[in-house]
Amino acid sequence: MECKVAILWMHEYLDDDLPRDDVIQLKEHLLSCPECRMRFEQLKRTEAFAQAAITERITIPVAASAGRSAVSSASLTNRIMQKLPQQRRKQGWMRFVRNHPAVTVAAVFVFVMMTSFLAMWGQSSELIVSGSDLQHVVIDGDTVIVPAGVQVNGDLTVENGRADIRGEVQGNLTVIDGSLQLASTAKIVGENREINQALDWLWFKVTKTVSGLAY
Amino acid sequence: MISIEARLARMALRGDQEAFAEIVGLYQEKLYHMAYRMLSNRQEAEDVVQDTFLRVYNNLDRYDETMKFSTWIYRIATNLCIDRLRKRKPSYSLDAESSDHEGLDGYSMIPSDDRTPESETLLSETQRIIHQAMDTLPAKYKSVMVLRYLQELSLQEIGDVLGMPVTTVKTRVHRGREFLRKKLERVL
Ligand SMILES: [Zn+2]
Repeated sequence: MECKVAILWMHEYLDDDLPRDDVIQLKEHLLSCPECRMRFEQLKRTEAFAQAAITERITIPVAASAGRSAVSSASLTNRIMQKLPQQRRKQGWMRFVRNHPAVTVAAVFVFVMMTSFLAMWGQSSELIVSGSDLQHVVIDGDTVIVPAGVQVNGDLTVENGRADIRGEVQGNLTVIDGSLQLASTAKIVGENREINQALDWLWFKVTKTVSGLAY
Repeated sequence: MISIEARLARMALRGDQEAFAEIVGLYQEKLYHMAYRMLSNRQEAEDVVQDTFLRVYNNLDRYDETMKFSTWIYRIATNLCIDRLRKRKPSYSLDAESSDHEGLDGYSMIPSDDRTPESETLLSETQRIIHQAMDTLPAKYKSVMVLRYLQELSLQEIGDVLGMPVTTVKTRVHRGREFLRKKLERVL
Protein backbone atom coordinates (compact mmCIF):
# COMPACT_ATOMS: atom_id res chain seq x y z
CA MET A 1 0.00 0.00 0.00
CA GLU A 2 1.16 3.48 -0.80
CA CYS A 3 1.59 5.88 2.13
CA LYS A 4 -0.70 8.36 0.34
CA VAL A 5 -3.53 5.85 0.35
CA ALA A 6 -2.75 4.90 3.92
CA ILE A 7 -3.13 8.53 5.05
CA LEU A 8 -6.48 8.83 3.32
CA TRP A 9 -7.60 5.63 5.01
CA MET A 10 -6.44 6.93 8.39
CA HIS A 11 -8.87 9.80 8.00
CA GLU A 12 -11.61 7.45 6.88
CA TYR A 13 -10.87 5.34 9.93
CA LEU A 14 -11.16 8.36 12.22
CA ASP A 15 -14.42 9.26 10.49
CA ASP A 16 -15.67 5.78 11.35
CA ASP A 17 -16.09 5.18 7.66
CA LEU A 18 -13.40 2.65 6.82
CA PRO A 19 -14.71 -0.81 5.90
CA ARG A 20 -13.50 -3.65 8.11
CA ASP A 21 -11.39 -5.28 5.40
CA ASP A 22 -9.62 -2.03 4.75
CA VAL A 23 -8.95 -1.58 8.44
CA ILE A 24 -6.99 -4.83 8.38
CA GLN A 25 -5.00 -3.68 5.37
CA LEU A 26 -4.30 -0.32 7.01
CA LYS A 27 -3.04 -2.07 10.15
CA GLU A 28 -0.72 -4.21 8.08
CA HIS A 29 0.74 -1.12 6.48
CA LEU A 30 1.16 0.61 9.81
CA LEU A 31 3.09 -2.36 11.16
CA SER A 32 5.53 -2.12 8.30
CA CYS A 33 5.78 1.69 7.99
CA PRO A 34 7.08 3.70 10.99
CA GLU A 35 6.34 7.04 9.33
CA CYS A 36 2.70 6.23 8.81
CA ARG A 37 2.54 4.80 12.31
CA MET A 38 3.71 8.12 13.72
CA ARG A 39 1.32 10.03 11.48
CA PHE A 40 -1.55 7.87 12.64
CA GLU A 41 -0.67 8.45 16.30
CA GLN A 42 -0.56 12.20 15.71
CA LEU A 43 -3.88 12.21 13.90
CA LYS A 44 -5.55 10.18 16.64
CA ARG A 45 -4.30 12.62 19.27
CA THR A 46 -5.27 15.62 17.18
CA GLU A 47 -8.73 14.14 16.90
CA ALA A 48 -8.91 13.61 20.66
CA PHE A 49 -7.62 17.10 21.45
CA ALA A 50 -9.92 18.77 18.97
CA GLN A 51 -12.89 16.87 20.26
CA ALA A 52 -11.99 17.69 23.87
CA ALA A 53 -11.46 21.37 23.08
CA ILE A 54 -14.75 21.61 21.26
CA THR A 55 -16.83 19.67 23.75
CA GLU A 56 -15.32 21.14 26.91
CA ARG A 57 -18.15 22.06 29.17
CA ILE A 58 -18.92 25.71 29.36
CA THR A 59 -21.70 27.34 31.26
CA ILE A 60 -24.01 29.82 29.70
CA PRO A 61 -22.91 32.95 29.88
CA VAL A 62 -20.72 32.43 32.85
CA ALA A 63 -18.92 35.14 34.76
CA ALA A 64 -16.14 35.62 32.30
CA SER A 65 -15.47 39.30 32.20
CA ALA A 66 -15.66 41.88 34.93
CA GLY A 67 -18.98 43.57 35.39
CA ARG A 68 -21.03 40.60 34.37
CA SER A 69 -22.32 38.29 37.01
CA ALA A 70 -23.22 34.69 36.36
CA VAL A 71 -26.45 34.55 34.48
CA SER A 72 -28.57 31.51 34.05
CA SER A 73 -29.76 30.23 30.73
CA ALA A 74 -33.29 31.13 31.81
CA SER A 75 -32.38 34.79 31.73
CA LEU A 76 -30.79 34.34 28.32
CA THR A 77 -34.19 33.08 27.22
CA ASN A 78 -35.75 36.20 28.67
CA ARG A 79 -33.27 38.44 26.93
CA ILE A 80 -33.98 36.71 23.64
CA MET A 81 -37.72 36.89 24.09
CA GLN A 82 -37.50 40.60 24.87
CA LYS A 83 -35.54 41.26 21.71
CA LEU A 84 -38.24 39.79 19.49
CA PRO A 85 -40.19 42.28 17.41
CA GLN A 86 -43.42 43.24 19.14
CA GLN A 87 -45.70 43.62 16.14
CA ARG A 88 -46.42 39.98 15.48
CA ARG A 89 -47.79 38.85 18.74
CA LYS A 90 -51.38 37.79 18.37
CA GLN A 91 -51.56 38.68 14.72
CA GLY A 92 -50.57 35.52 12.94
CA TRP A 93 -53.77 35.69 10.93
CA MET A 94 -52.99 39.21 9.74
CA ARG A 95 -50.08 37.76 7.81
CA PHE A 96 -52.50 35.43 6.05
CA VAL A 97 -54.79 38.33 5.30
CA ARG A 98 -51.89 40.29 3.82
CA ASN A 99 -50.85 37.37 1.67
CA HIS A 100 -54.31 36.33 0.54
CA PRO A 101 -56.57 39.39 0.62
CA ALA A 102 -59.19 38.15 -1.85
CA VAL A 103 -59.47 34.71 -0.35
CA THR A 104 -59.74 36.19 3.11
CA VAL A 105 -62.44 38.66 2.18
CA ALA A 106 -64.43 35.93 0.46
CA ALA A 107 -63.95 33.55 3.37
CA VAL A 108 -64.93 36.12 5.96
CA PHE A 109 -67.94 37.11 3.92
CA VAL A 110 -69.13 33.53 3.49
CA PHE A 111 -68.51 32.86 7.16
CA VAL A 112 -70.48 35.89 8.30
CA MET A 113 -73.27 35.17 5.89
CA MET A 114 -73.49 31.52 6.77
CA THR A 115 -73.58 32.13 10.50
CA SER A 116 -76.17 34.86 10.29
CA PHE A 117 -78.08 32.85 7.73
CA LEU A 118 -78.12 29.76 9.89
CA ALA A 119 -79.02 31.74 12.96
CA MET A 120 -81.88 33.45 11.19
CA TRP A 121 -82.99 30.33 9.41
CA GLY A 122 -83.13 28.39 12.63
CA GLN A 123 -85.28 30.83 14.52
CA SER A 124 -87.51 32.01 11.74
CA SER A 125 -90.64 30.07 12.43
CA GLU A 126 -92.47 33.13 13.72
CA LEU A 127 -94.13 35.72 11.62
CA ILE A 128 -91.86 38.64 10.89
CA VAL A 129 -93.05 41.80 9.24
CA SER A 130 -90.62 44.46 8.29
CA GLY A 131 -90.86 47.68 6.39
CA SER A 132 -90.44 51.37 6.75
CA ASP A 133 -94.11 52.22 7.01
CA LEU A 134 -96.15 49.70 8.97
CA GLN A 135 -98.61 51.88 10.81
CA HIS A 136 -101.62 51.00 8.63
CA VAL A 137 -100.72 47.36 8.18
CA VAL A 138 -103.06 44.98 9.97
CA ILE A 139 -101.77 41.74 11.40
CA ASP A 140 -104.30 38.99 12.00
CA GLY A 141 -102.77 35.75 13.23
CA ASP A 142 -100.17 34.83 10.63
CA THR A 143 -101.74 37.04 8.01
CA VAL A 144 -100.45 40.47 7.18
CA ILE A 145 -103.11 42.63 5.62
CA VAL A 146 -102.69 45.85 3.74
CA PRO A 147 -106.31 47.04 3.73
CA ALA A 148 -107.92 48.52 0.66
CA GLY A 149 -107.29 52.23 0.33
CA VAL A 150 -104.17 52.02 2.51
CA GLN A 151 -100.82 53.07 1.08
CA VAL A 152 -97.59 51.62 2.45
CA ASN A 153 -94.81 54.07 1.77
CA GLY A 154 -91.81 51.90 1.18
CA ASP A 155 -90.87 48.24 1.13
CA LEU A 156 -92.79 45.52 2.86
CA THR A 157 -91.35 42.16 3.78
CA VAL A 158 -93.34 39.30 5.26
CA GLU A 159 -91.62 36.19 6.58
CA ASN A 160 -93.38 32.98 7.64
CA GLY A 161 -96.82 34.27 7.00
CA ARG A 162 -99.43 35.16 4.47
CA ALA A 163 -99.56 38.52 2.84
CA ASP A 164 -102.99 39.75 1.90
CA ILE A 165 -102.60 42.87 -0.15
CA ARG A 166 -105.67 44.93 -0.95
CA GLY A 167 -104.15 48.39 -0.92
CA GLU A 168 -100.93 49.85 -2.31
CA VAL A 169 -97.28 49.09 -1.61
CA GLN A 170 -95.11 51.91 -2.90
CA GLY A 171 -91.89 49.90 -2.65
CA ASN A 172 -90.94 46.26 -3.09
CA LEU A 173 -93.06 43.48 -1.70
CA THR A 174 -91.20 40.38 -0.57
CA VAL A 175 -92.79 37.27 0.87
CA ILE A 176 -90.50 34.69 2.40
CA ASP A 177 -91.72 31.17 3.18
CA GLY A 178 -95.25 32.24 2.99
CA SER A 179 -98.01 32.93 0.54
CA LEU A 180 -99.21 36.00 -1.24
CA GLN A 181 -102.72 37.00 -2.02
CA LEU A 182 -103.29 40.01 -4.21
CA ALA A 183 -106.73 41.55 -4.36
CA SER A 184 -107.93 43.26 -7.53
CA THR A 185 -107.46 46.58 -5.79
CA ALA A 186 -103.86 45.78 -4.89
CA LYS A 187 -101.05 47.75 -6.40
CA ILE A 188 -97.34 46.97 -6.03
CA VAL A 189 -95.19 49.80 -7.30
CA GLY A 190 -91.85 48.10 -6.81
CA GLU A 191 -90.81 44.51 -7.30
CA ASN A 192 -92.98 41.68 -6.11
CA ARG A 193 -91.07 38.59 -5.02
CA GLU A 194 -91.90 35.37 -3.32
CA ILE A 195 -89.04 33.43 -1.79
CA ASN A 196 -89.57 29.92 -0.56
CA GLN A 197 -86.24 28.20 -0.83
CA ALA A 198 -83.35 28.49 1.53
CA LEU A 199 -80.89 29.43 -1.19
CA ASP A 200 -83.14 32.08 -2.59
CA TRP A 201 -83.57 33.43 0.84
CA LEU A 202 -79.83 33.42 1.41
CA TRP A 203 -79.35 35.25 -1.85
CA PHE A 204 -81.94 37.75 -0.82
CA LYS A 205 -80.09 38.34 2.47
CA VAL A 206 -76.77 38.61 0.69
CA THR A 207 -77.94 41.16 -1.83
CA LYS A 208 -79.69 43.09 0.89
CA THR A 209 -76.52 43.09 2.96
CA VAL A 210 -74.36 44.06 0.03
CA SER A 211 -76.63 46.91 -1.04
CA GLY A 212 -76.84 47.86 2.61
CA LEU A 213 -73.04 47.98 2.73
CA ALA A 214 -72.91 50.04 -0.41
CA TYR A 215 -74.91 52.89 1.09
CA MET B 1 -46.39 13.27 11.97
CA ILE B 2 -44.50 16.51 12.46
CA SER B 3 -41.72 17.20 14.92
CA ILE B 4 -42.18 18.98 18.22
CA GLU B 5 -40.20 21.91 16.90
CA ALA B 6 -42.32 22.16 13.77
CA ARG B 7 -45.45 22.15 15.90
CA LEU B 8 -43.99 24.83 18.18
CA ALA B 9 -43.00 26.82 15.12
CA ARG B 10 -46.57 26.73 13.84
CA MET B 11 -47.87 27.89 17.20
CA ALA B 12 -45.29 30.66 17.37
CA LEU B 13 -46.28 31.73 13.87
CA ARG B 14 -49.82 32.18 15.11
CA GLY B 15 -48.48 34.52 17.77
CA ASP B 16 -47.92 32.11 20.64
CA GLN B 17 -44.91 33.56 22.46
CA GLU B 18 -44.74 30.68 24.92
CA ALA B 19 -44.24 28.28 22.05
CA PHE B 20 -41.34 30.33 20.76
CA ALA B 21 -39.84 30.45 24.24
CA GLU B 22 -39.93 26.63 24.18
CA ILE B 23 -37.92 26.62 20.97
CA VAL B 24 -35.44 29.01 22.53
CA GLY B 25 -35.20 26.73 25.56
CA LEU B 26 -34.55 23.71 23.38
CA TYR B 27 -31.75 25.26 21.36
CA GLN B 28 -30.10 28.13 23.19
CA GLU B 29 -27.49 26.02 24.95
CA LYS B 30 -26.54 24.04 21.88
CA LEU B 31 -26.30 27.21 19.85
CA TYR B 32 -24.34 29.01 22.52
CA HIS B 33 -21.79 26.22 22.74
CA MET B 34 -21.50 26.06 19.02
CA ALA B 35 -21.09 29.82 18.64
CA TYR B 36 -18.59 29.93 21.47
CA ARG B 37 -16.48 27.20 19.90
CA MET B 38 -16.59 28.95 16.59
CA LEU B 39 -15.85 32.44 17.89
CA SER B 40 -13.99 31.90 21.19
CA ASN B 41 -15.75 34.86 22.64
CA ARG B 42 -18.63 34.82 25.05
CA GLN B 43 -20.20 38.11 24.13
CA GLU B 44 -20.07 37.36 20.44
CA ALA B 45 -21.44 33.88 21.07
CA GLU B 46 -24.37 35.34 22.94
CA ASP B 47 -24.96 37.90 20.19
CA VAL B 48 -25.01 35.12 17.62
CA VAL B 49 -27.51 33.14 19.68
CA GLN B 50 -29.78 36.18 19.91
CA ASP B 51 -29.44 36.98 16.22
CA THR B 52 -30.17 33.38 15.33
CA PHE B 53 -33.42 33.31 17.28
CA LEU B 54 -34.41 36.68 15.88
CA ARG B 55 -33.92 35.38 12.36
CA VAL B 56 -35.76 32.19 13.14
CA TYR B 57 -38.63 34.21 14.56
CA ASN B 58 -38.82 36.53 11.58
CA ASN B 59 -38.65 33.66 9.11
CA LEU B 60 -40.91 31.12 10.77
CA ASP B 61 -43.27 31.29 7.81
CA ARG B 62 -40.45 30.22 5.54
CA TYR B 63 -39.49 27.17 7.58
CA ASP B 64 -39.80 24.11 5.37
CA GLU B 65 -41.20 21.31 7.49
CA THR B 66 -39.61 18.66 5.32
CA MET B 67 -36.27 19.81 6.71
CA LYS B 68 -35.26 18.94 10.26
CA PHE B 69 -35.71 21.98 12.45
CA SER B 70 -32.24 21.48 13.94
CA THR B 71 -30.72 21.53 10.44
CA TRP B 72 -32.44 24.82 9.76
CA ILE B 73 -31.46 26.52 13.00
CA TYR B 74 -27.85 25.27 12.85
CA ARG B 75 -27.63 26.56 9.30
CA ILE B 76 -28.68 30.03 10.42
CA ALA B 77 -26.34 30.01 13.42
CA THR B 78 -23.38 28.60 11.48
CA ASN B 79 -23.76 31.21 8.77
CA LEU B 80 -23.86 33.98 11.37
CA CYS B 81 -20.66 32.63 12.96
CA ILE B 82 -18.89 32.31 9.63
CA ASP B 83 -19.91 35.87 8.74
CA ARG B 84 -18.42 37.14 11.96
CA LEU B 85 -15.21 35.19 11.48
CA ARG B 86 -14.86 36.61 7.97
CA LYS B 87 -15.36 40.16 9.18
CA ARG B 88 -12.63 39.84 11.78
CA LYS B 89 -9.28 41.36 11.14
CA PRO B 90 -6.74 38.65 10.39
CA SER B 91 -4.79 39.44 13.56
CA TYR B 92 -7.82 39.00 15.75
CA SER B 93 -7.81 35.22 15.81
CA LEU B 94 -4.20 35.19 16.96
CA ASP B 95 -5.04 37.35 19.95
CA ALA B 96 -8.32 35.71 20.70
CA GLU B 97 -6.95 33.06 22.99
CA SER B 98 -5.66 35.63 25.45
CA SER B 99 -9.06 37.28 25.71
CA ASP B 100 -11.27 34.44 26.58
CA HIS B 101 -9.68 31.14 27.40
CA GLU B 102 -8.91 31.82 30.98
CA GLY B 103 -11.68 31.20 33.45
CA LEU B 104 -13.69 28.18 34.34
CA ASP B 105 -13.39 26.24 31.16
CA GLY B 106 -9.62 26.30 31.08
CA TYR B 107 -9.18 23.28 33.31
CA SER B 108 -12.19 21.19 32.62
CA MET B 109 -10.43 18.57 30.52
CA ILE B 110 -9.24 16.69 33.59
CA PRO B 111 -11.25 15.71 36.62
CA SER B 112 -10.71 18.16 39.46
CA ASP B 113 -9.22 15.41 41.68
CA ASP B 114 -6.23 15.09 39.39
CA ARG B 115 -5.36 18.73 39.54
CA THR B 116 -2.11 19.65 41.12
CA PRO B 117 -0.39 22.98 40.59
CA GLU B 118 2.14 21.27 38.28
CA SER B 119 -0.44 19.43 36.18
CA GLU B 120 -2.45 22.60 35.89
CA THR B 121 0.50 24.53 34.58
CA LEU B 122 1.36 21.75 32.18
CA LEU B 123 -2.18 21.26 31.08
CA SER B 124 -2.94 24.89 30.64
CA GLU B 125 0.14 25.26 28.43
CA THR B 126 -1.02 22.34 26.26
CA GLN B 127 -4.52 23.70 26.27
CA ARG B 128 -3.33 27.13 25.36
CA ILE B 129 -1.66 25.64 22.29
CA ILE B 130 -4.76 23.63 21.44
CA HIS B 131 -7.01 26.65 21.77
CA GLN B 132 -4.62 28.70 19.72
CA ALA B 133 -4.65 26.03 17.04
CA MET B 134 -8.44 25.92 17.14
CA ASP B 135 -8.59 29.69 16.82
CA THR B 136 -6.46 29.71 13.71
CA LEU B 137 -8.47 26.90 12.14
CA PRO B 138 -10.17 28.40 9.05
CA ALA B 139 -13.91 28.86 9.43
CA LYS B 140 -14.80 26.32 6.77
CA TYR B 141 -13.00 23.57 8.68
CA LYS B 142 -14.06 24.80 12.06
CA SER B 143 -17.77 24.84 11.27
CA VAL B 144 -17.58 21.23 10.11
CA MET B 145 -15.69 20.14 13.24
CA VAL B 146 -17.96 22.00 15.63
CA LEU B 147 -21.08 20.53 14.06
CA ARG B 148 -19.53 17.09 14.17
CA TYR B 149 -18.21 17.02 17.73
CA LEU B 150 -20.44 19.43 19.54
CA GLN B 151 -23.77 18.76 17.88
CA GLU B 152 -22.83 15.20 17.05
CA LEU B 153 -24.27 15.51 13.57
CA SER B 154 -23.59 12.88 10.95
CA LEU B 155 -21.56 13.88 7.91
CA GLN B 156 -24.78 13.80 5.88
CA GLU B 157 -26.50 16.15 8.34
CA ILE B 158 -23.53 18.51 8.28
CA GLY B 159 -23.84 18.54 4.51
CA ASP B 160 -27.50 19.48 4.88
CA VAL B 161 -26.71 22.28 7.33
CA LEU B 162 -23.92 23.74 5.23
CA GLY B 163 -25.64 23.03 1.93
CA MET B 164 -22.82 20.99 0.43
CA PRO B 165 -22.27 17.38 -0.64
CA VAL B 166 -21.00 14.83 1.89
CA THR B 167 -17.80 14.43 -0.09
CA THR B 168 -17.01 18.11 0.49
CA VAL B 169 -17.76 17.75 4.19
CA LYS B 170 -15.38 14.79 4.35
CA THR B 171 -12.64 16.67 2.58
CA ARG B 172 -13.02 19.50 5.06
CA VAL B 173 -12.87 17.17 8.03
CA HIS B 174 -9.67 15.64 6.68
CA ARG B 175 -8.05 18.97 5.85
CA GLY B 176 -9.07 20.46 9.17
CA ARG B 177 -7.55 17.52 10.96
CA GLU B 178 -4.30 17.87 9.04
CA PHE B 179 -4.27 21.60 9.70
CA LEU B 180 -4.57 21.01 13.43
CA ARG B 181 -2.03 18.19 13.39
CA LYS B 182 0.59 20.53 11.95
CA LYS B 183 -0.27 23.26 14.45
CA LEU B 184 -0.11 20.82 17.35
CA GLU B 185 2.97 18.94 16.22
CA ARG B 186 5.10 20.03 19.17
CA VAL B 187 2.63 18.80 21.79
CA LEU B 188 1.54 15.61 20.06
ZN1 LIG C 1 3.49 4.51 5.04
